[in-house]
Amino acid sequence: MPASTARSSTEARTAVERGRDVVAEARRATADVGPLLRLRISGLAGSTKRRLGLLGVLVGMLTLVAATVPAWGPGAGSGDRAQNLLLFMPSAYLGVLFIAVVSATASGGGRELLARDEAVAFPVSPTTDHLGSLLMAPLNVAWLLQAWVVLGATAYVLGPERLLLVQLPVVLWIAVATAGAQVVAWSFEWLRRTAHGGLATGILLGLLAALAVTAVAAGAVTGFLDRAPTVRIVLLSLAGRNGDWAAYAGGLGVLAALALVLVVLGAVPAHRAARRAPHEETALETSHHPARPLPGSDLRMVLRIDRAGIWRSVPLRRGVAVLALIPGGVALAGGLGWDMLLIMPGLVASGGALLFGVNAWCLDGRGGLWRETLPLSPRLGLVSRAIVLIELLVGATVGTLLLASLRAGVPSLAELVALVSVTAVVAMMVTARVLQWSVERPYATDLRSARATPAPPTAMFGYSIRLAAATTMVSLLFTGVVELGDWRLPLLVAVPFLLFSTRRLVKVARAWEDHPTRARVLATVAG
Amino acid sequence: MYPPPAPPPAVEVHDLWVRFGEVEAVRGVDLSVRAGESVGLLGRNGAGKSTTMKVLAGVFPASAGHVRITGLDQHRHPMATKRLVGYCPDVGGLVPRATPWEHLQLAARLRRLDASWEDRARDLLERFDLGDVAHRVTAGFSHGMGRRLSVVLAAFHGPAVLLLDEPFDGVDPLGVEATLEVIADARATGAAVVVSTHLRDLAVDACDHAHVLRGGRVVGSLADHELEGEAGAGVYRALLD
Repeated sequence: MPASTARSSTEARTAVERGRDVVAEARRATADVGPLLRLRISGLAGSTKRRLGLLGVLVGMLTLVAATVPAWGPGAGSGDRAQNLLLFMPSAYLGVLFIAVVSATASGGGRELLARDEAVAFPVSPTTDHLGSLLMAPLNVAWLLQAWVVLGATAYVLGPERLLLVQLPVVLWIAVATAGAQVVAWSFEWLRRTAHGGLATGILLGLLAALAVTAVAAGAVTGFLDRAPTVRIVLLSLAGRNGDWAAYAGGLGVLAALALVLVVLGAVPAHRAARRAPHEETALETSHHPARPLPGSDLRMVLRIDRAGIWRSVPLRRGVAVLALIPGGVALAGGLGWDMLLIMPGLVASGGALLFGVNAWCLDGRGGLWRETLPLSPRLGLVSRAIVLIELLVGATVGTLLLASLRAGVPSLAELVALVSVTAVVAMMVTARVLQWSVERPYATDLRSARATPAPPTAMFGYSIRLAAATTMVSLLFTGVVELGDWRLPLLVAVPFLLFSTRRLVKVARAWEDHPTRARVLATVAG
Repeated sequence: MYPPPAPPPAVEVHDLWVRFGEVEAVRGVDLSVRAGESVGLLGRNGAGKSTTMKVLAGVFPASAGHVRITGLDQHRHPMATKRLVGYCPDVGGLVPRATPWEHLQLAARLRRLDASWEDRARDLLERFDLGDVAHRVTAGFSHGMGRRLSVVLAAFHGPAVLLLDEPFDGVDPLGVEATLEVIADARATGAAVVVSTHLRDLAVDACDHAHVLRGGRVVGSLADHELEGEAGAGVYRALLD
């Protein structure tokens, strides 16, 4: 018995000490986030910092506008439209969670505060990495748009009375969804890195896809969304508006506690994932590819190398899969019609360009220096890069449209022509724009890690906002043109856009032919 | 009546300047390398060796001065001079997700090599112990494997001018031996070789003579025997300060 008592006391002391160590480590890891953020920002040029500052102010103002202005719109709070919209709010809140989970999981745990190669020189804890990813989650146009949509819709549905109190539960829900998504993403990443992780995650995704297909086929999606637990967010906002303080305070407390618990909980799978090797990356980096015959033209040879740069990169493969499946899947589940599907090409093209196009020369990494010594005309190199980018954008768009078309019925001729036209327009527009950025503002990156992005997160945020704004405007224009019912009109509207994009591509090609410009880009990308 | 004119040097650099904004990386370098000759560029980090090599390879443009490759003005004939040069960059130099064979195919296609390039490429890959990984993506290569493949890529098409920037950096003794053989073979076939390194002993083995760079300028030119042994080390050390 005495021995047993002694052991208990030792265990108790060890547990206390271990607990103190964990708390001290967590505090240290949290404190490290600040210096790493400052390191990231210090690496930006002065003009970039100013642009980002302006963008931050703009985003803040737009968020404020989205969260308040609709509350004073016609019919806000009590009109029929507001009442109808109220029924969709639980689904919209669920959408926030869905987008957050997809974004964080597809990028293997969210954005990197410090790139993998840079991080090896510093003792960065997985907790710091996790907190950094959480902080950078809003630097994502899909996340931001969802947040604006739910804030705006909530304001419109519940009206201006006690608006701040009405929006508080929504803001807390967005925090819960983001932190929860991070837990899911790290857990998925940990599972993927286990011995048979590739198979396990494949089966898991297959089951989820089968479940989704079954739900859609059985017409059970609406019933599922109607029973979504996020209806409690609506009830909580209503409690705030109606002055039911007990229910309101209790609900807010639960949401705040949940957000905090999820933030802390995310560190556990983050640590577990960090202790395992990233099998998928290492498998691709050591993969063998049998020799193929020499192609018959320079362009085909260069295209082969450029395509290898895309399809043998983990973040690019995952990104393409997400773009080809998720928007189409959502459209399929929602039973969207062809008029709504016109927005898909713009959505997919702006997302696809963010995979590598905004820093297109990063596909070569440091090999760009060697490639530059080959007798290849700069223009041909640029043409190849443009072709592979257009292939990627159009391929992902076709994938998502095929999926979405399963419930959209047969399009009218005007809709079909508009769809083809808008796909061509946004693909060309985005390609010309991002190649211009690639020449003007290159970054050193090699896209080896699943979490790697072609440019720093702050730059990616700026790019995503600009691309999304431009492609959405074009998509809305074509949506309006289709309403006129004449199939020739979309073609006519497409012509000036295509000419403008071609002109921009020619200007980019001229810039790329300038030797000092090319040297600057290649030296920067090579690091 | 008159003897035929001597062929121009394979590499001729006159008053080369390279500026990056306010930084002058190369300041008035003169260089001449004849066919069959091997010249070293020695110096500390940041001396201007790699920048000079990048200009010779056609990667960086010269801010001022002239570069001629086998008599051709590099500025006026960029494509023609690129066909004459083989370049091993100082860092990386490999397309991360392409295999060694795909690198070789790209170079062979663009350089319009005849079908015999494959045998020469296979032979070189074997000599550099890369035969087993010829079809493996290079992203997973060790630093030394990457350096060895870069030397193969620079040399396999038998260039008139072979430019090797830090080819021995992080390479094992067998790789160093193979690189020295490649240099000897290139010289034997009449190629001019320029080797940039900070390793004096290997420069002695690889080159006829060497130029020591400091602060972007050539501060001394020495024959290989002047760089040998303790005395050579002392002379080299004195030029570095």
